[in-house]
Amino acid sequence: MNTIRTKHRWEPYLWLLPSVIMLAVFVVYPIILVFRLSFSEISKSGVLGGFVGFQNYVNAVNLPAFKTVMLNTLFWVVSVVGLSTLLGFIIAMVLNQKFHGRKIARAILVFPWATSLVVQASVWNYIIKYEYGNLNNVLLNLGIIREAINWRSSYQIEFLWECGVGIFVTVPFVAFCVLSGLQSIDESLYEAATVDGAGFWSKLWNVTIPMVRPSLTVSTVLNIIYVFNSFPIVYTMTKGAPTHKTDTLVTYLYMLFFYEKQKGPATALSVIGFLILCLCAGIYMVSVMRKEEE
Amino acid sequence: MQNPNLKALNRRALLLMLVGLLLAAILFSLPLYSFQARIFTKKSANTFVGDEKYQSVRAEMEEIAESYRADGFDVDISEDVTLRTNSKGEQTSLIAFSVTQDIHRNLWSFLPSSLPSAHVLRAIALCMLLSAACALLGLRGEEETVHRYLPARSRRLRTAAGVLLLIAVLLVPVFLLMNNYFFSRRLALIGKGLISEGVEQSFRQADSFLFGGRMGEKIGDALSGLQYDPSGMLWLLIPCLLLSIVFAIQLRNGEIKSALLRGLLYFFVVVMCLAILYPYYVMLVTGFRSNAETLDINFLHMFPTEWKFENLAYIVQRGVPRYLLNSLIIAGGATLLAMLCGIPAAYAMARMSFRGKKAFLGFVIMSQMFSPVVLLIGITQLMDSLHLTNTVMSLVFVNAAFNQAFAIWLLRGTFVSISPEMEQAAMIDGCGTVSSLLRVLLPMAAPGIVTALIFVFINAWNEYTIATVLIQLQTLRPITVGITQFSSFNMIEWQYLFASSLLATIPVVILFMTIEKHLTSGLTAGGVKG
Repeated sequence: MNTIRTKHRWEPYLWLLPSVIMLAVFVVYPIILVFRLSFSEISKSGVLGGFVGFQNYVNAVNLPAFKTVMLNTLFWVVSVVGLSTLLGFIIAMVLNQKFHGRKIARAILVFPWATSLVVQASVWNYIIKYEYGNLNNVLLNLGIIREAINWRSSYQIEFLWECGVGIFVTVPFVAFCVLSGLQSIDESLYEAATVDGAGFWSKLWNVTIPMVRPSLTVSTVLNIIYVFNSFPIVYTMTKGAPTHKTDTLVTYLYMLFFYEKQKGPATALSVIGFLILCLCAGIYMVSVMRKEEE
Repeated sequence: MQNPNLKALNRRALLLMLVGLLLAAILFSLPLYSFQARIFTKKSANTFVGDEKYQSVRAEMEEIAESYRADGFDVDISEDVTLRTNSKGEQTSLIAFSVTQDIHRNLWSFLPSSLPSAHVLRAIALCMLLSAACALLGLRGEEETVHRYLPARSRRLRTAAGVLLLIAVLLVPVFLLMNNYFFSRRLALIGKGLISEGVEQSFRQADSFLFGGRMGEKIGDALSGLQYDPSGMLWLLIPCLLLSIVFAIQLRNGEIKSALLRGLLYFFVVVMCLAILYPYYVMLVTGFRSNAETLDINFLHMFPTEWKFENLAYIVQRGVPRYLLNSLIIAGGATLLAMLCGIPAAYAMARMSFRGKKAFLGFVIMSQMFSPVVLLIGITQLMDSLHLTNTVMSLVFVNAAFNQAFAIWLLRGTFVSISPEMEQAAMIDGCGTVSSLLRVLLPMAAPGIVTALIFVFINAWNEYTIATVLIQLQTLRPITVGITQFSSFNMIEWQYLFASSLLATIPVVILFMTIEKHLTSGLTAGGVKG
């Protein structure tokens, strides 16, 4: 018996109440607000007008930068989540081995995760500067290059750097998720596989991956959410320049709302982003709930 | 313990070592320098190819070249013709004659030179040869098993071989470091007159090695024609270095494959750690540099020449302690609030059964999906209507609410993993639900609670986006927003930015490291264990 009997039927709800109130006021109510705003006319100063139907959405989709921004967002999420999952998996496999200094390596791996994104983005912004950046400085000092290289010669490359920084800060999370999965694998499974004559790759495919799949699912879905919402990297490194060509959805809607005063389309974009997240959340819920039933 | 395979194994080891030496030899022979040095240049204006003036200058140059050839240099004469129009609109040309020498050098040509680094190179080569010799002599034993069962002489020789190889390997970085400075950057900079003090000695040595002491100031010109970076090529030695380490281990004892895999493992881990620590190194060294050194591309040091601790005093003046305090209040308040609301909810979820439990769980998981950034606009409107904009409380509430889901999730996982028997016993003894939670469950769940606590604290501390929008008053900014005051559109004061970033990062990194042990178990517990 895992439960505790309560005196009144309403008692559990009393325990939940503070949490529910907080979530309702600061999470659910803003959602409703955003939805309401997206269907109303909003002036540049933010004064609410009447109901305009889907006008804001039409305006948002017709914005010149809309397509670029959506494609950027897709590229950003897919590349950062994909590569950091791959890299994090490899790192977790390595850190699961026994070797000297494993504890130190794991402690170091925590660093990028614990650091504020705005700090990380500023540092990388400095590192890859052409005129005085530290990367050029170090490479020149080591004698690997002879002349400073312009690491950010075009906005495409700058966007790739942003993705790189995104991967850099995301990898530890994946690595620790996978590591927790790896540590729960029973050693006897590997022994049995070895007796059956399985090599490294066949053990990887038939034992390791199926066993860490739950952790991988959790980390991938959470990462999709986090990366999709990641704002400081793009905002600090390029601010979307030139003309929103390196913007992702969140930075774009921020710029639209607070700088360009296009509040209507910005709220519509907000709802679009929200719906995309809902879709991810739904997939995630299904996978979690299915596990619950197992 | 006789192993017939061991002789074959030893032979393979020896073969591999010879291959390694061969590789090193090939690497030594790779072209390192390949450039055309201009030894002497003379420019002649208003000259056309083939006319009288051309002939006379050409003859003059031939004479100079001849004098070099007499000294044993293999020199050529090259001409650069530039056509241009003068002020009267006439076509003229400018011819630059140079006496040039093609210089090709590799590591072998370093060996006989008089540079300090050449001694190191010689020592490396000697160690490698001696090691090979020792290994050869040591292998003349019968088919033996492990190192300690070898005959004493053979054992000593093999150990010597391993040690010598290791010495050679350890000397390689020394050589690299010495050379880097001599040949690439430093020389180029001396040539351009960018550094001048205390370099005469090294300059003369390099000059005598490369050009027999005849080059003088022309060396800068010569190096600007360089095609490869000499010391850059030297980095190719690193794979050889790794191979040699493996051979050294193998010579001592052990199997090649596992030694190789181990080597790769350590290599990977070291590279990973260096890559991760790199931005922190940048933060540290840049944060304590002077402004001039931060913006200097020719800054030739890995560390500041003078550690500017005044930077700290300056950022204190600019209000950084205030931002840190704000962050502390915001993160602390958010953590407290999230825990106060989260612990009862998690307790109810873990210990009580009621209708709508699943729905609430779904709601909690869903709310974790929504970042405040997408809802930014809604949140600003809400705070406007609550008159909470520009208050620290607004950030406390938002951070607490958006970390609520994670806190409940993590705490519930912890509570479920603890058996309820103790609480049931306490309740039979007359404890109420509240006191059984406080007196029995919470002390037992302390590690999990601390993890959740620190996690929420860190998330709130590192939050940036909402704070930029909600807080306009400078004195109320948290540190993540506060550091951005050092970067405006036209000027970024990097040293102050990084000095304050360091202050913002260190406490959080230390906190995170304390819960690192629980991360692997706690992180996906909520999700994986349902």
